[in-house]
Formats: sequence, structure tokens, C-alpha cells
Amino acid sequence: MDFIIAKYNYLIYVILMMIGFYAMIAKNNLIKKIIGMNIFQTAIILFFVSIAYKKGGATLPILTHADAHGEHAIQVAQYLNPLPHVLMLTAIVVSIATLGVALAIAIMMYRKYHTLEEDEILKAIK
Amino acid sequence: MKTLGLIVSIIAGAFLMYGTIDMPDWGDPNSPASIHVSPRYITNTEVETATPNMVTSVLADYRGYDTLGETTVIFTAGMACILLLRRRGGVRKARR
Amino acid sequence: MIIEQAPPLIVIIVLMSAVATPLIGWLRKDLCYPWVVLVLLASTCCSVLVLNTVIHEGVIHYYMGGWLPPWGIEYVIDHLNAMMLVLITGSSLLVAIYSKRSLEAELPDRTVSFYTLFLLQVTGFLGIVITGDVFNLYVFLEIASLSGYALIATGEEGAPFAAFRYLILGTVGACFYLLGVGYLYMVTGSLNMADLAELLPALYGSKVILVAFAFFMVGIALKMALFPLHMWLPDAYTKAPSAASALIAPLMTKVAIYIMLRVMFTVFRPYFSIDLLPVTKIMLYAGIIAIFAGAVMALAQRDFKRMLCYVVIAEVGYMVGGVGVANAVAIKGAILHIMNDVVMTLGLFLVAGILAYKMKNHEITAFDNIFKKMPFTMAAFLVVALSVIGVPPTCGFFSKWYLIQGSVMAGNWTFVVALLFSSLVNIILFFRIIETGYYDFGASGSGHAHEEGSGVSEAPLSMLIPTIVVAAAIILIGLYNQSIITNIINFAVPKL
Repeated sequence: MDFIIAKYNYLIYVILMMIGFYAMIAKNNLIKKIIGMNIFQTAIILFFVSIAYKKGGATLPILTHADAHGEHAIQVAQYLNPLPHVLMLTAIVVSIATLGVALAIAIMMYRKYHTLEEDEILKAIK
Repeated sequence: MKTLGLIVSIIAGAFLMYGTIDMPDWGDPNSPASIHVSPRYITNTEVETATPNMVTSVLADYRGYDTLGETTVIFTAGMACILLLRRRGGVRKARR
Repeated sequence: MIIEQAPPLIVIIVLMSAVATPLIGWLRKDLCYPWVVLVLLASTCCSVLVLNTVIHEGVIHYYMGGWLPPWGIEYVIDHLNAMMLVLITGSSLLVAIYSKRSLEAELPDRTVSFYTLFLLQVTGFLGIVITGDVFNLYVFLEIASLSGYALIATGEEGAPFAAFRYLILGTVGACFYLLGVGYLYMVTGSLNMADLAELLPALYGSKVILVAFAFFMVGIALKMALFPLHMWLPDAYTKAPSAASALIAPLMTKVAIYIMLRVMFTVFRPYFSIDLLPVTKIMLYAGIIAIFAGAVMALAQRDFKRMLCYVVIAEVGYMVGGVGVANAVAIKGAILHIMNDVVMTLGLFLVAGILAYKMKNHEITAFDNIFKKMPFTMAAFLVVALSVIGVPPTCGFFSKWYLIQGSVMAGNWTFVVALLFSSLVNIILFFRIIETGYYDFGASGSGHAHEEGSGVSEAPLSMLIPTIVVAAAIILIGLYNQSIITNIINFAVPKL
């Protein structure tokens, strides 16, 4: 029980990710596959952002007082870890770009076959 | 395909949960992720980059090369859409 | 000065030119082709310079923006990277020279965006290979993948669907890789490969590390099309435009194998990958299965390009199995085979592109009497085929020799049998084409078909020259293999 309370963020992201993963593999409709892909990538973003969190009153990674000397010296535990946030900014952009290309390919297929069901497209190709 | 997908995703999920056993607790300020590389970003951002926002200073300075890659990803996606969806004179033909 | 800045220039020249390509195409469309060739030529010069520096002066470190490694991003170029850089720039230069005529035939109105994505694809490969940072590798992996999906989707009937399937599986692969990066970051707090290698040994018992390693390997196996995960490859590479498949087919799988070597032997120590976990055993059997499955499925194909795709799958089995044997000789063979396989697969797909350009068809049965009609192309093809089979003066023999020698030393007879079986199948595969091409079956069909085929003549020079250069390279690498091994490959083999 302690285990779940201490790490529930990491467990929830796994469940979310597997929902997306299942949709990517098993769904027949291409748009549903794309939605699954997005859930999958968002779960990973959730995971990375969870790494950055620090309990005990840490705030956003923006310096609040500019003169960081003396008793106002910067405490590392005061601020959230900025690095995972930076990585996830990149990963969000990557996931949006992938979404764009996937939708472009889906539009191409819709123009040609007038359907987005995987089995119907496979039938049309053969 | 449905059962296969279910089996694969359950196995992968169980494996990931197995990995969480040894993870540092969520939100622990002394977890390795918070004490190895990132403290320099927090303490030195003002001195080294003159930017109070640490995310900005990491994004645009310490790891600026990643951001160049990120911009290139967007450019790639844009060019991919142009390559895939552009139809020569398609709009005019469709209107007729 | 230029030597100091050469490592980033390799990538940056290509990246910035990719951004400039639409502008140049907007000014004048036919300037694109010389521009792309020029850019890749410059990048090739830089990478040869870097390889030369690495051979004479050792590993190069380059700090991006001057930030020291664990905080900033660094380039680390050792012998393995430097070899990959030369291979990538060199083969993409050849494909760029070659692409002009086949593009005019296949995508006449979309050359500008095609060339832009072509350069972005090369940027992605170069960025993956050159970097020393695990997250930076992911970003460039996505650049390479996204441009690859788009290039493949422009192909013939059914290509968009093949590209879509590749996109789904490729995204799963890349995301698994990213997840592995996240797990490593969580327990070490670092993203730099060398720094991770320092920090990880203390944590080798941890379950997090085990999961991270497994997800790295599965993700990379998806990208390299290791046998049970190869479903996306045959359709995608068969239906892509010839210029795109000639660029992607030789490089994508080999770059994935490079990532695998990096993760196994640089990020993790060899004793983790080999002694602590049964990874190499799994890889050995995965490689053997891939060789058998690829060979058998290649035999069943009637389409030339599709047959080549299964040959590629079997070749992936060679390298994965070679690493799986896990002794120095076999890994030397596997790394040498990366080099040889880039050149050989490039040769095969260039020939396939020429045949598709001339015949408008890539069924094997259409290749009647082709030796008489296109003597130079087919002579080059013969050299490549001999190399894939593994006949001595060509380069394919030597890597296979080291692989067999290594597995004999390790007592792995199954892998030896698989390699010999694959050679045998390759003889049958290529002999079938040579037989069809050498004799005139036109008479047995109808006179009409024969007359139609007789219009086919030798390929245009812009396509022929790269093909012949590849054939010459195969023989040259074979002849100079000893100096390549002593100067480059021996340093690239990890110390076991």
C-alpha cells in the first residue's frame, strides 16, 4: 500500500500509456490509431514531468528574487527540476509533428480510397 | 489482432510496473534526478545566462542544440505536409 | 580552424541547406538538383576530414555552445561514428546524383519538397550518429523518421498505407527509446552517454535499469526491423520512390544497429550487456531466426524490390547475430558488415531503381535478355550480387569470414549454419535473376512483348555512374579490408 501511495504517479502513467498502446495496435480505424498514438506520447510526457516534481514547497523554476546572495541564497530544493520540462517541450513538439504527418497521410488515403477503415483500405489495395 | 494487442499491452504494462518498484519515491527532493545535473541550472542560471527563468535558460542556452533539432522537426513536418497534400491546380479543377 | 569546426559543420551544412532548398526551388526549380549535390559533397568532404583526424589523433570531443558535457550537449566522434559519418554522407551523395532522372519520371511536380525532405533525412541520420547525448539522439531520430515516412508515402499505389503502418510502429519504437531515456534519467540524473557510463555500474542490480535496457532494445529492434518486428519494412521499401528507397533502405536499419551498439557498449558496459543479462543469447537466436526467415521469404517473392527487402531483413540478422556471439572477432565482423551492408544494399537498390526506371515494372519475370540491353548496369549488379553471396575478392566475403570465424571460436554452430544457408539462398536468388536476364525468353511469350522490350537500352549516365562507383567501392573495400580493419574497425570494437 505504501508502495502505491509513494509512486502512484508512475503507476497511473503506465495505465494511460497502455490504453494508447492498445488503441494503436488493435483499432481498425486509422484516426483511432492516431488518437491512441497521441495518448501514448502524452503518457510519456506525464512520466517525465512527474520526475521533475519535488515535494516540500518547491515552486516553478523561475527565480523570484534577483539578488541571490546572503540569506536569500538559492536553495536547490526550492525550485522544481527544470530539465525534464525542457525535454518535454521538445517531446511535445515532436509529438505534434508526428500527429501532423500522420494526419496528412490519412488525408492522402481518404482522397484515394474514400475510407479510413484499415480492412477496407487493404481490400482496395489488393 | 484485438487479443494480440491486449496481450502485448498487458505484458508491457506489467513490465513497466515491475520497473517502478525500484524507483525513487515520487516527489523526493533528494532523488538522483534532482541532485546530479539540474542543481547547476537552478543555482547558476542568473550568473551564467542572466535569465531568471531556468526552463528558458536550459532550452535556449545549455541545451540549445536540442531546440534547433526541435525546430527542424517542425520544419520537417511542414515540408512533409506540403509534399504529401499539395495538388497542382487541384483547387481550380475542383471548383469547375 | 576548419578542422576544429568540421564536426558540427557536417550536420549544420546539411540542415541549413535543407531550410534554404525551398527558397532556391522557388527561384528556379532546376537549381535544386545541383544544390543538393553540392551540399552533400561539402558534407562528405567534412566527414572525410573528421575521419582522417580521428584516425590520426584519436577521439574528438566537441562541446555545443561551450557548455561542458553533463550540462550541455557534446559531440563525441570515435572510430565507429566517423566511419558511419563517411558512409552516410558518401552514400547519400551517390543517391543524390542518381536521383535526378528517377525523380523526373516518378514525381515530376514535387521535386523541391522531395529534395528538402531528402536533405532532412540525411540530417537526421548524421545527427543520430554524431551525438554523445541520449536525448539529442532521440530528437534527430524523429527528424529522420518523420522525413522517412513522408518520402515513403509519395510512392506508388499502396505507399501511403505502408507509410502509415511504418509511422505507427516507428513511433512506438521511438517512444520506447524515449521511455528508456526517462528511466535512465530518473535513476542517474544525467543524459550524457559518457556520464551515464560512469554512473550506471553502481546501479546494475536495479529493476529500473533492467526495464530501461529492455525498452531501449525493443524500440531499436522495431526501428531496425529485426525479424518478428519487421512487418513494416517490405511494403514500405517496395512502394517508396526509387530514390527514397535507395536512400532509406541502406541507412535506416544500419543507423539503428549503430544505436544498438552505442547503447549496449557505450551507455552500458559490455559486461552488463554480455555477462549480467542473457541479452546476447537472445540476440543470437533472434539473429539466426531473422536470417532463416528473411532467406525463406525472399525465395517466395516474385517482385525484385520486395525480394531485396527480405534480403535486408536477413542481413540485419547477420549483424544482430554477430553482436550476439559476443566475442571480439564476431563483433569485428558485425561492424565491418555494417560498412559492407550499406554499400551492398545501396548497390542493390540503385540497380532496382534503374530497372524500375527503364522497365516501369519490378517483377523478376520482366527482366528478359536484360544483360544484352544494359551491359554496364548488369555488370555492376553482378559484382553486388557476388558480394552479397560472399565471393572472395568482394567485401561481403570478409565480414562473413569474421562472423563465421567468431562463431566457430565461440562454438556456435547454429549461427555458422545460418550464415552458410543464407549464402546458399542468395546464390539461388541472384542466379534466378541472372538466368532470366541472360537468356531471351521473349520468344516464348509473344513477338509483341519482345518488340516492346527491345526499346530498353542502357541507363542514363547520371544513374549509371553512381551504380558503377558502388560496384568499384565493393571491390576496393574488399581489397583494402586489412587496412580498414587495422585503422578503423579494431578501435571501434568494444573492449570485452
